[in-house]
Amino acid sequence: MSTTAETAPLALGRRRMRVDGWRWTGRIFLAFMLLYTAVPMIWMLITSIKSGFAAMQFPPQWWPDEPTLASYEKLLDPQNSVGQDFLRFFWNSLFVSTVTTILSVIVAVPAAYAFSRFSFPGRNFLFFAVLLRNMFPAVIFLVPLFILMRLLGLMNTHGSLILTYLTFGLPLAIWLLKGFYDNIPVQLEQAARIDGATRFQAFILIVMPLSTPGIIATAIYSFIGAWNEYIYAYTFLTKNDQLTLPVGIQRFFSENTTDFPGLMAASFMMSVPVVVLFLVLQRYFVRALTEGAVKH
Amino acid sequence: MAHVVLKELVKAYGSFKAVNDVSLTVNDGEFVALVGPSGCGKTTTLNLVAGLIPITSGDIVIGDRVVNDLDPKDRDIAMVFQNYALYPQKSVYKNLAFPLQMRKLPRDEIDKKVKEAARVLDMEHLLERKPRELSGGQQQRVALGRALVRDPAVFLMDEPLSNLDAKLRVQMRSEIKRFHQDLKATIIYVTHDQLEAVTMADKMAVMNGGYLQQYDSPAQVFAHPVNMFVASFIGSPAMSLIPLQASTANGNSVLTSAEGWSFELSPRNAQKVARATTRKVVLGARHSTIKLRKSAVAGAIPAKAYTVEPTGDVTFVQAFLSGAIVNVSVPPNIAVAPDEQIWLEFDQERMHLFDGETEMALKAN
Repeated sequence: MSTTAETAPLALGRRRMRVDGWRWTGRIFLAFMLLYTAVPMIWMLITSIKSGFAAMQFPPQWWPDEPTLASYEKLLDPQNSVGQDFLRFFWNSLFVSTVTTILSVIVAVPAAYAFSRFSFPGRNFLFFAVLLRNMFPAVIFLVPLFILMRLLGLMNTHGSLILTYLTFGLPLAIWLLKGFYDNIPVQLEQAARIDGATRFQAFILIVMPLSTPGIIATAIYSFIGAWNEYIYAYTFLTKNDQLTLPVGIQRFFSENTTDFPGLMAASFMMSVPVVVLFLVLQRYFVRALTEGAVKH
Repeated sequence: MAHVVLKELVKAYGSFKAVNDVSLTVNDGEFVALVGPSGCGKTTTLNLVAGLIPITSGDIVIGDRVVNDLDPKDRDIAMVFQNYALYPQKSVYKNLAFPLQMRKLPRDEIDKKVKEAARVLDMEHLLERKPRELSGGQQQRVALGRALVRDPAVFLMDEPLSNLDAKLRVQMRSEIKRFHQDLKATIIYVTHDQLEAVTMADKMAVMNGGYLQQYDSPAQVFAHPVNMFVASFIGSPAMSLIPLQASTANGNSVLTSAEGWSFELSPRNAQKVARATTRKVVLGARHSTIKLRKSAVAGAIPAKAYTVEPTGDVTFVQAFLSGAIVNVSVPPNIAVAPDEQIWLEFDQERMHLFDGETEMALKAN
């Protein structure tokens, strides 16, 4: 950077300039990334309030001449068949994702705690075995799981999806939560046990509240994973009234025409629960809860 | 309050014994310090008494109960941790109330006891704060308060002062001592700082390598260390230990250095040396018992000053003698320069003699 060297006679000044140079590079990069993520979403929103005809125009209307909420009204109206389907898919997705999330927290919390606190034979082996699943692409398990679900008689049930999503989400959930428990000083539990708590009470009363951010992160992760999953939902479910949103939305593509505003409106509404969930829960991430617990 | 008895206590991790055959009795109302270097087993011993880790063999008695298999909560103990271990999500008030809530005390009684503890520790104005809003010294007080709010049979303290800065540490040291005197509490206190142990404890248990080395009052441990480890660990600066050779000259017992000098022993010291297993004898002398001479005197040994450390009211001189470092203290008005020729005079009455082979203190009879 010859220009900075010329303009800054002092070593200190030169260093500042270089830091600023990097900072600007970083900002430009981040701005680009932001556009890259935001523009498709904005376009989704804009398209969703166009009429079917306006959505197909070229050159495109950057802002619709006649904005309309017709697509939304259609999707949310339980009177017509499109609305009935959409609301059913939405409910199915919500049910599958919520149950997956709850079960995954119920399993991951004690599992992660055990991995973090206890030493038992095969602990390391088990811990890495848990991760092994994530080293393969999910599609590899499609056929084996299909056969397994058929044997279990879970074909065409939401249970098959919940079970599958659990096996996919749990490894990382356990891994993530273990990190949280590792960071909670063991002396806090010891203090609680001396203060009169049983081991279980110490866990519930002291450790659990402190691992809230971890549990929430785990929950969001499981929820999003289940909410967005497509290929298994597409394979395991065949009955129309059982479909989840990602598969259901596909219905907007028909052989001849595609209802783009309807598709975009449905996509937008599908992203709402995740965003809301995140906004509501994000305040728990802000501060490390164990601050002030121990002096290092 | 209650007494505590450890009987042949062992904690083994595989073949490694962290605590090896430790037996000692802490009398009712006594302040006992477990002291030793890092990894000597003192904290493990405390955790065994607390019930935080299971014992391998032996017995622990608190009051009149054998508590070997009891949960920590049933042992009627309170513990202060080195890092305080305050519940970060709870206010100071709730931290103090927690042990009482766990024991299902009525709400108004909890309130009374918490306020009383807060008053004693002078932190009534802090009750609504969270631990992270407190200074290190205040956090330490809360930890102490949480222990004393319950009035347990035994207090266990695991290096409670080691995270405080030097000034606060001295202040809290006297507060804990005062607290012990007022409550007549039975306290087991772990520290690696021999000064804390000497200044605070009624008795000190010096540990090394999982073994209990010596268990006695600080004065006794200081005056009569049982072996070279205790001698060098207790006291600051450390006792100087000089390896020598015992021999007889003209019918008198003498100690000879590899450097060529020697000195004659008093009859009592000669008796001690006669009991050594080999000819190898280690001479131990505390800094205050060695006289520093600026010129040759009969019986004084020549040495060279190595470093000189003035501390204000006393100056420490280090010298090499027979391959060992010897600490000598002199009044500040005596000027000694590094590399200056000096003569050291040992006090026959106050010197310690150790068996060079077994490292045990030699006794006269």
